[in-house]
Amino acid sequence: MPRRLLGLLLVLPALAVIALLFILPLVMSAVGAFQLDGGLGLGNFAKAFDLYLKDILFSVGIVSLSTVLIGLGAVAIGGYLTLGAHPVAVTILRWLYRWPMFIPFIVVGQILRTFLAKNGMMNNTAVSLGLMGPIDAMSFLDWRGIVIAFVWKQTPFVALLVAGAMASVNREGIEAAVNLGASRLRVLIEIIVPQVTATLAVGLILSFVTMMSVLSVPLMINAQSPTMLTADIAFRVNAYGDYGVANALGLISLVLASSVAWIYLKISLRERA
Amino acid sequence: MNGSGYLELNGIASRYGATQVLKDIDLSIRAGEFVALLGSSGCGKTTLLRTLAGFVAPSSGSVHIGARDITHLPPDKRGMALVFQSYALWPHMTVDENIAYGLKLKGVPRTQIAAKVSAMRSLLGLDGLGGRKPQALSGGQRQRVALGRALVIDPEILLLDEPLSNLDARIRLTVRHELRALQQRLGITAIHVTHDREEAMVMADRIVILDAGRIAQQGRPEEVYNRPATPFVAAFMGAENLLALEGLVSGDRFVLAPGAIRATGSVSLDGRSLASGAVEARFRPEAARILSDADAAAPEEGLTFQGEVLAVTYPGGHWRHVVRAGAHEILADAPRACQPGERVSVHVGADALFLFNTAQPAAASLSRPSGAKTEA
Repeated sequence: MPRRLLGLLLVLPALAVIALLFILPLVMSAVGAFQLDGGLGLGNFAKAFDLYLKDILFSVGIVSLSTVLIGLGAVAIGGYLTLGAHPVAVTILRWLYRWPMFIPFIVVGQILRTFLAKNGMMNNTAVSLGLMGPIDAMSFLDWRGIVIAFVWKQTPFVALLVAGAMASVNREGIEAAVNLGASRLRVLIEIIVPQVTATLAVGLILSFVTMMSVLSVPLMINAQSPTMLTADIAFRVNAYGDYGVANALGLISLVLASSVAWIYLKISLRERA
Repeated sequence: MNGSGYLELNGIASRYGATQVLKDIDLSIRAGEFVALLGSSGCGKTTLLRTLAGFVAPSSGSVHIGARDITHLPPDKRGMALVFQSYALWPHMTVDENIAYGLKLKGVPRTQIAAKVSAMRSLLGLDGLGGRKPQALSGGQRQRVALGRALVIDPEILLLDEPLSNLDARIRLTVRHELRALQQRLGITAIHVTHDREEAMVMADRIVILDAGRIAQQGRPEEVYNRPATPFVAAFMGAENLLALEGLVSGDRFVLAPGAIRATGSVSLDGRSLASGAVEARFRPEAARILSDADAAAPEEGLTFQGEVLAVTYPGGHWRHVVRAGAHEILADAPRACQPGERVSVHVGADALFLFNTAQPAAASLSRPSGAKTEA
C-alpha cells in the first residue's frame, strides 16, 4: 500500500468522528433552519425574529456587558498578581481566584439563586446587618443575576490566561516605567495591558462564545421574558417540537459568536502585518 | 569617606533572604564623574546599582546626593535614570513614544515634549526612526533609544546596567566611545555596571572592583591595572598566571627562594608590607618573557624561573606558550614560537610582578596599599 494512503488511513477514525459527530449535525441543523413544510425558505427566521428579537438583543447585551466586566476583573486580578506589593495578599489571591472555574454552570446558577433571591442570603445578611429594612429587599434574579453569574464563573478563566501573559512581560520594562515615575495604575494600563491585549482578546472571545451557549444559568436565574436565546431554543424543542425555529435561533447565535471571532482574526492579522 | 563627593554611599549593606549580598560599601562619587562598578557575576554590582536606583532597600547604611538623604526615596524621586541590560523598551510604543514617556509622566506640555524628543533623537543619531517600533531596530539603535529615554528627563545621575553586553563585539567598541563622549559632553554623573574589564578601563574615570559584596579596590584604571591591592583584583585585571613561591625580606628587598622551579631574583619592597614566608606571585601572560639561551644570565630584578613548554598557539601578534613550572601551568607570550617539550627560562619584570603573602593575602601586598583609598 502506498505510504500516503496509509497515513490517510491512520487519521481516518479521527476525521470520521469529527465529520459524523460535529460537521454533519451542524450542517443538518443549518439546513433544517431553512426547511419549511413546503420546501426551503426564510420562514423560520422570520418567525424567530418576530418572536425573539427582544431575546436576541437581550442575549447580546447581557453577554457583551458580562464580557466587559470579565475583562476589567481579569485585568485587575492579573495586575494585582503582577504588581502587588504585599506578598501575603498576592499569595491568598493567587490561591482563591481560580475556584469558580471548577464549579459547573448549573451549580453556579443554583448558588446564585439562593444567594440573590428576595429572601436569599444577600438580602438577609444586609437586613440583619441593619444596612436596609426588610421592605427594601429586592430580587436580583433577572438580567443582573445572569450577569453576576457569568462574571463570577468566567473571570477566573480569563484572569488565569491574562495573569500568565502578564507574568511573562519583561520585568525590566515595568521597572523602567517605575524609574521614570509611573504609578502602579499607570504601569498596569499603559505598560502591561497593551502588551497582553492578544491574550486578553482570546480569553474574552472564548468567554463570549461560552456564555452564548449556556442554558442552565438563564433557566435557573431568569426563566421569564426576556431571556437568553439558549432558553428559547430549549423551549421551542421541548414544548413545541419546533426544530425549524430552534435551528434558526441556533444559527443566529452561531453568527453572533463567529462575528466576535472574526473581529479577533482581523485584529491579529493587522498586528502581524 | 571624606564627604567631599556628590553622591555618597555610607556603609551600605544588603541582604537577600539569608544571603549577604553587599557589605559595608563606602563610596564617594564626584559630580560629572564616570565610575565603573566592575566584578564577576554574583559579586553584588547589579544589587548595588539597584540600591542606588531605589529598587532594592539597603538593610543598613545611607545614600546621599549632596546634603539630601535619598536612602528611602522611591525610584522616581532620586533624580536618577536607569538604562537596563535588556534595554527594557516598551514594544507597543514607537521610538518617540518610548522616549517621551518620562516627560508625559511629568506632565510636560505636548509641544515641549515633541521638541525635546526631537532634540534627543538628533543627539543620538536616531533621526527618521521616530515612528518605528523597537522590534524594527538594530541592537545598537535600541540601546540608543533606551539611553534617550533615560537622558530626556535630565537626570542628575545616569545608571547603566551592563548596557553594552547585548551588542555585537564590533558595535560595542564604537558604542563605548560614543557613550563616553556623550557623558562628557552632557557633564552628567554616570555609574556603569560591567563585568568587562576592558570596557571599564576604556570608559571610566574610576574603577570600583567588587568582590563578594565588598569593594576590593578602587582607583583610576591605570592604578587598578598596575597596582592591584589583592590577589583577586590582580587575577580579575588579567594577571591570571599564578606561582606559589617562598621569599625572605632582606633590607629593602624581597628575595625569592629557588624552590622546585629554580626561581631567582628579587624585587624592591618600596615601602610596602610583605613578610618573609610563602607568597603567591601573579602576572599577565604578556608580562612574561621567554629567555633564549643567549641571555642565560637572568636579570637580578624581577623573577626568573625554569619550565617546560607544553603547547604553543598563535592568538595574533605573538605566540602564546603554555609552560609547566613545577606544579603550576602558566601562559607566557613571546615574539617567536618555542617547540613543545623545550626547556625554557621565563622572566617577569619587577613592575609587572604582583606578590601577595599567602597567609593573609588581602593585607600584605607588593602593590601600594593606599590604592584602595584613591579619590580620583
